[in-house]
Amino acid sequence: MLLEVQGLCKRFGDLAALSQVSFHIRTGEVLGLIGPNGAGKTTLFECMAGVLSADEGVLRVGGRAVPAGQRSGILFYVPDSIVPWGSQPVGWALDYTVGFFRGRGDLRNELISELSLEPLLGRRIGALSKGQRKRILLAIGLLTSQPALLIDEPFEGLDLRQTREVAGVLRSHAGRGRTLFLSIHQIGDAARICDRFVLLSNGQVRGQGDVGELAALAQARAPGGSYSTLEEVFLALT
Amino acid sequence: MRLRKGPFRWLVEKELRELAAARSWWVLLVAMGPLVGISFISAVNTYGEVSGLNGTSAGVGEALSPLIGIWGPTFSSCELAAVFLLPFVIIRLVGGDRQNGALKLELQQGASPISLVAAKTVVAAIAWIVAMLPALSAILLWKSYGGSVYWPEIGAVVVGHLLNGGLTIALAASMASLAEHPSTAAILTLGVTVGTWILNFFGAIQGGIWEKAAGYTPAVLVAEFQHGLIRLDVLLTAITLVLLGLSISAVWMRLGETTARRAALSAGLMGLAAALILGCTFLRGSWDLSESRGNSFSEADERALRQVRQPLSIEVHLAPEDPRRLDLERRALSKLRRTMPHLSVSYVSSTSIGMFEQTASGYGEIWYALGGRREMSRTITEEGVLEAIYSVAQISPPKQDDEAAFRGHPLPTRPIGARVIFWGIWPAAFALAAAVRRCRA
Repeated sequence: MLLEVQGLCKRFGDLAALSQVSFHIRTGEVLGLIGPNGAGKTTLFECMAGVLSADEGVLRVGGRAVPAGQRSGILFYVPDSIVPWGSQPVGWALDYTVGFFRGRGDLRNELISELSLEPLLGRRIGALSKGQRKRILLAIGLLTSQPALLIDEPFEGLDLRQTREVAGVLRSHAGRGRTLFLSIHQIGDAARICDRFVLLSNGQVRGQGDVGELAALAQARAPGGSYSTLEEVFLALT
Repeated sequence: MRLRKGPFRWLVEKELRELAAARSWWVLLVAMGPLVGISFISAVNTYGEVSGLNGTSAGVGEALSPLIGIWGPTFSSCELAAVFLLPFVIIRLVGGDRQNGALKLELQQGASPISLVAAKTVVAAIAWIVAMLPALSAILLWKSYGGSVYWPEIGAVVVGHLLNGGLTIALAASMASLAEHPSTAAILTLGVTVGTWILNFFGAIQGGIWEKAAGYTPAVLVAEFQHGLIRLDVLLTAITLVLLGLSISAVWMRLGETTARRAALSAGLMGLAAALILGCTFLRGSWDLSESRGNSFSEADERALRQVRQPLSIEVHLAPEDPRRLDLERRALSKLRRTMPHLSVSYVSSTSIGMFEQTASGYGEIWYALGGRREMSRTITEEGVLEAIYSVAQISPPKQDDEAAFRGHPLPTRPIGARVIFWGIWPAAFALAAAVRRCRA
C-alpha cells in the first residue's frame, strides 16, 4: 500500500463536500475516482494535495500521518481546467517542470513523442485548444518525480483517438511503477484504464475495489440486479 | 546545463518571462517617456527663465537649486506612475498565477510562498527600475546643457522613488493575494492609496496624531526625499511597511490554510509592524543631502543651537489650517527638530481653520520656554525663530559665514532635444522592444 486516506472531511458552510472519506492506494496501480458531478472528486484531490485545507482526516504513508505541507515528496496533483504559464511556450513549460519541480528530464523527449507535442513546443500554452492544453498538463504531471500522480479528468477535451492514446500512455507509465489516481466522470473511460475504483457520491465513499468487488457490493445492497458492467455498478451504488 | 539552476533562479526566470509578456508593463514603459518629458521640459523652461533667459532678471536665479527646480518635478512623473500604472503590473505578476492555476502546481513543489513572493519582488523591482530609466536619462540631458549635478541629492530623490515603488509593489502584491480577482485587487490598491491622501488631508485639518500619522504616507515620504531629506524614522517605517505588505502577500498566497488562520497570521504581522513603526517614530536621525542645505539651518546656527543643553518648549497658537503654521513648520520647526533633540512643540487652537480666532487675544503667538525663561514672538521666519531661541537661551547669535551660503546654479537654457528623446525615442524604443518580444514569442 502506497498511501491511505482516513476520515477526510471538508465542509463549505452548510454543505458537506466530503464526509469521512477513507480509502487506500496501492503502489503502481491505476486507481479511478468516479462519481457523478458534484460528488466531491476535485475537493478530495485538492485536500489530498494540500491545496485545500481539510477539516478532518489524515493521509498516511507507511502508517505515518503526513501533514498537508509535507506531501510534495509523495504525490503531485494536476488540476483540471487550468492554463499555467499561458504566455509561455510549451517547450519552456516542460523545461520549467523538469528544472523547478525537479522533474524527470529523461522522460521529456519520450513524453513529447508519446503525447504528440512536437508541433506545439514553440506555441504559447494560452493559444492552444482545450485538448492540446490537456496533453500539456498530462506531460507536466508525468514529468514530475513523485511516486503518486493525481490527475483530475485526464481525458477531458480529448477526442476518442486521443483518449485511447493517452490511456495507453498512462498505463505504460503505471506499468513502470508510477501510481496513478485519476478522477474520471466518463465511466467507459474509467473502465478501460483503471485497475480499481473509488466510488464517490455526495461526498461519501460508496464503495471501492475492482469491478468484481463492486458488483458484489451492489448485489449485496440491491439483490437481484444485473451488475456485469461498471456503468450498472455505478448506477446501483451512487 | 540550463536545467541545473536552483528553484529560485527558475522562479525568477519565470517571473521575468511573465513580466515581458505583461501588456500593462509595456504600457507603463511607453507612457513613462512622455510623462517624464512633460515634467522635465516644463521644469527646464521655468528654470531657464528664472535664471535670466531672454533678458529676464537673473537675480532670483542665484538661489536656484536643480533639486527643487528640476529633479523634484521631473521625478514626480514616477510618483504618478507608481500610483496609477505600476499597481496593474504588480497585480498581474502576483495574481496571475492564482488566476491561471500555476500557483496550485508551484506550491506543490515544496517551495515556500515566501520564495515565490521574493522572486516576484525581485522582478517587480527590476520592472520599476526599468520604468524609471527615462527619468534617470534626464540627468544626462541636464548635464549636456551644462547643468549642475549634485549626486547626493539626486541619490536621495532616486531612493525616495524606489522606496515609493517598493510601497506600491508591497501594497499591490498583498491586495493581489488577498483578492480573488485582479479587478478587486486594483480597486483595493487604489482605495488604500486614496485613503493615504485622505489621511494627509485630515492631518492638515485636524493636526495632532493625524498630522503625525500623515507624516509617514507615501506622498509625504516622496516629498521629503525630493527635498534631499532622508529621515531614519520615515525610511525604517517605509521598509517595515514594504516587508509587511510582502509578508501578507505570502500568507494569503499559501494554499491549504484556512481563512481564519491566514487572517490571524495577518493580524499578528500587522501588530508586529505597528509596534516596529511605533518604535521608529522615536528615532531622530536624519540626513540633509541637498546641496543647498534646504532642510537645515546654517552650520553656524546649528553649532550655536547644539550649545543649548536644556529642553526647549515651543507653544504655537495657530490653527492646523492656518498657512502661517505650515510656513513655520517648513521654514523653522522641521529644521529645529533635526538639530535640537530636547525639543517639544505643542499647538494650541480652538478651531481647525483659525479664521474666527484671529481677534482672540493670544492667537498667532509663539511662546518659547527654556530653563524657566519665557519669550513670545509672532515671527514665523527662520531668522525670527532663531532670534527668539537665542534670546530665551541667552546666547549670542553666531556670525554667519557668507562664503558657505548656497548661491544656486542658474542655467539660462532651453530643453534642447528633450522632446525628441522623451516623446519620440523612449516610447519608440519601448514600443519596438514590445513588438520584437511579441514576434519572438
